[in-house]
Order: sequence, then C-alpha cells, then structure tokens
Amino acid sequence: MIHRLIIPGPIEDVEEFRVLEWHRAEGGSFAAGELIVEVETQKAIIEVRAETAGVLRRILCRAGEWQKLDQPLALISDAPDEAVPAEVPADAPALDVVFDVN
Amino acid sequence: MSSDAAPGRPAGTKVFFREAICRALREEMERDERVLLLGQDVAAFGGPYRETAGLFERFGPERVRNTPVAEAGTVGLGVGAAAAGLRPVVCVTYMDFLTLALDPLVNYAAKIRFKTGGQLTAPLVVKTTAGAKGQGVAHSQCLEAWLMNVPGLKVVAPSTPADAYGLLKAAVRDDGPVVFVDHKRLFPTTGELPELDGPLPLGRAAVRRRGADLTVVTYSYMTRVALEAADRLAAGGLSCEVLDLRTLAPLDLEAVCGSAGRTGALLTVEEGQVTCGVGAEVAFRVRERLPHVRVARVGARPAPVSSSPALEAFVVPDAARVAEAAQSLVKAPTAGATPGEAEEVGGA
Repeated sequence: MIHRLIIPGPIEDVEEFRVLEWHRAEGGSFAAGELIVEVETQKAIIEVRAETAGVLRRILCRAGEWQKLDQPLALISDAPDEAVPAEVPADAPALDVVFDVN
Repeated sequence: MSSDAAPGRPAGTKVFFREAICRALREEMERDERVLLLGQDVAAFGGPYRETAGLFERFGPERVRNTPVAEAGTVGLGVGAAAAGLRPVVCVTYMDFLTLALDPLVNYAAKIRFKTGGQLTAPLVVKTTAGAKGQGVAHSQCLEAWLMNVPGLKVVAPSTPADAYGLLKAAVRDDGPVVFVDHKRLFPTTGELPELDGPLPLGRAAVRRRGADLTVVTYSYMTRVALEAADRLAAGGLSCEVLDLRTLAPLDLEAVCGSAGRTGALLTVEEGQVTCGVGAEVAFRVRERLPHVRVARVGARPAPVSSSPALEAFVVPDAARVAEAAQSLVKAPTAGATPGEAEEVGGA
C-alpha cells in the first residue's frame, strides 16, 4: 500500500514548518521506530519516526523546503516493488508516525 | 563595516519571524562592533522565543549578556552604555515589565539629547514582546500607546518578518532611543525576507490591501486580524483598505490621511486599550486635517486580559468585531458619529 507521510495538525503555534534533513534517500527502507525525517517548527525540532517498517519512495519536500501541516512530505510504500503513482494520491492513507520533539 | 547596499539574497527566502529578528541582530552586530545585546535569557538559552539563537556563540559573552530579572537596572545599563558610545539592544521579555524600566527609558534615554543640547544621544533599542496569548493579566498587555506620548521616543511595531528585519536594523542604526515591539502571536508566523539587506526607513506605513469603502489603520499582530476581517467584508461587498502603520512614532500621517481622505471612513484597530490609545491619536489627527472623515475605534474591552482563554478572546479584538465595527461605520450617517465605541465591562 502507498502511504502519504504527513505531519497531522492542528499543532498549537505551528502554521508551517521547514524540512531540515532526510535520514533516508529515495528507495531506502526503514524499520519500525527508525528516524525518517527531521523538521523544524517555530519552537522545536521534530523527529519523525515510522511506527511500522516501510520504504521511502518519493520525497515531495526536500531539505530546506517548507510545508504545511497535513500536506504530504513524501510517499511511502510497504514493499519496495509497489508501483508509485505519478500524481500524489489524495486518498492514500497517512503513514502512522511517532514524534520526538526536541 | 559593510555598506548599506549589501548584496541581496535570492528572492523568496522564507523564515520564521524569530529568524528575521535574529538575522537582523546578527548582521548589525557584524556590521558594527558597538552593538551589543542585553536581556534575560538572550545568551546561551538563545532568547525567550529563540530569537537570539546562535548570537552568544558567534559574538561571545562580551557582547551578548544575560541580565537578571531587573528591568529597571538592565534598561538603565543600556541607557548608560548608549550615552557612553555603545549601541545596545536591551531585550525586555514581556512588555508588561517595561513598566519597571520607564524611569531610565522615559526620564533618561528620551531626554538625554535635549538635556545635553545634543552633546549626548542614547542610541538604544529596547526590544520587547506585547500581546495576549494565554498568559493572563500581567503578561499580555499592549502598552505602546503610552510610549507614543513621550517626546524623544520612537516606537516600532512590525507585523511581518520582512518588516521586523528591516525595522530592527533601522532601529539599531538610529540615534534612538527606539522601542521595538513584537508580538507573541507573530512568532509562529513565517514570511519572506526582503531581497536587500538594508534597513527599512522608520515612520512609513504600508498598504496591505487596497480598498475603496473604508480605511482600516492598524499595526503589529492586529494587521492579520484586520486582513481577515477585510476578507470577510469583501465577501459581503465592502471594500477595505488596510494600512499597517509599522512605526507608531513617528506616525505616517500622510499615508493615513491619503487613504482616509479617499475612502471617507477610518477605522482604527489595536489590541491595547482604546482610551488614550493609538487609534484615538490617529483618528484625532486625521480629523484635524480632514473633518469630513468618519472615524471609529476598535481595541481591547476595558478589562484586564484574563488567563481564561474565553475571557481573553472576549477582551481582545477579533475579526468578527473588526468587521462589525467596519459595517457600522460605513452605515453611520455623518462624521462625528462614533459607532463601535467601547462598552463598559464590569461596572464600578
């Protein structure tokens, strides 16, 4: 299945955030609990970790770029060989993530 | 020192509000070694809103100094340092506690040039944070109107990161004293920096939205509230021009009169109290020149800002109140009517 990697809102005092660093390249797999991406809000740095294993397939928002809450940062697949649609599927479920806030 | 016309940056460099402040401070400290930073938590902690992050590491303890919870002493230190030739930026975390520092600010900093026949100046910036955001009676106030009342003080209150950047640079380079007022609710906002690195001139308002039916004059965070109200009113066919003063002292009366003269109606919007407020001053001065302009004010209801979110929201203006006041104003039959006047709260 294809998932959208989003940071769900609302979060108090966060309108937009900036992507700091991707910890996987496109095509890279991650295990449950591993760090995928760090983003920076006005107040904090958020480490985004997956709850389950998956593969980072397409980065939609590169380091240094800005995104809004609930908007996709990347597309993730469960298996490495699943087809990824050219357009971002609006109905793709959001990946379950956990946050570490620093 | 580099020149004012430093090379630009790529268009579209987006930053958090705090980063605009931090960048302005860093560039001014690099440009002029007399600039130093004093205040609570400004050093290794990086500022209450992280707006001084990295400056202690870059410039060291000689130029970035934490001070105790002693606003009168800290601002006094700043005034003395300024009179002796430095260019201090003193951070007072909450504007409410600028009250403690009114003696050095009002009686010394604002007077020193007059008292010494221009032999001494106080090139001092006091940077402070105003506004209601869930912190109750003594951490929420907007007292900038008090400061406008003092000859010799300049008062700056930007609403965007670009303006915060440019006006803070101008404040640092000014022979002062300047009070730079930011706002708790602006810190989560983002915006693009200007392409050029130089200062923005003090005393110039900016048109945030063009309109024909009435002029809304505001500043700081209320600019965003006024723009939201203008959006709602546009849907109902009422066209608002929104002017962001950016600097309260000196006041850009030309810009306000130009707009209000054209629309024939002036609504002032501030988060502070309307009694002897920014709006009272703006409206009176406009009417001195343009007696036909209808005026009304929106500001805080006459009560302290509560720690209760519901009561805070009741006291502080929101887009609905601004829109309602605008509608009443344009319906008012003649100049001199004062729709939207402050209601009494609590009774005596």
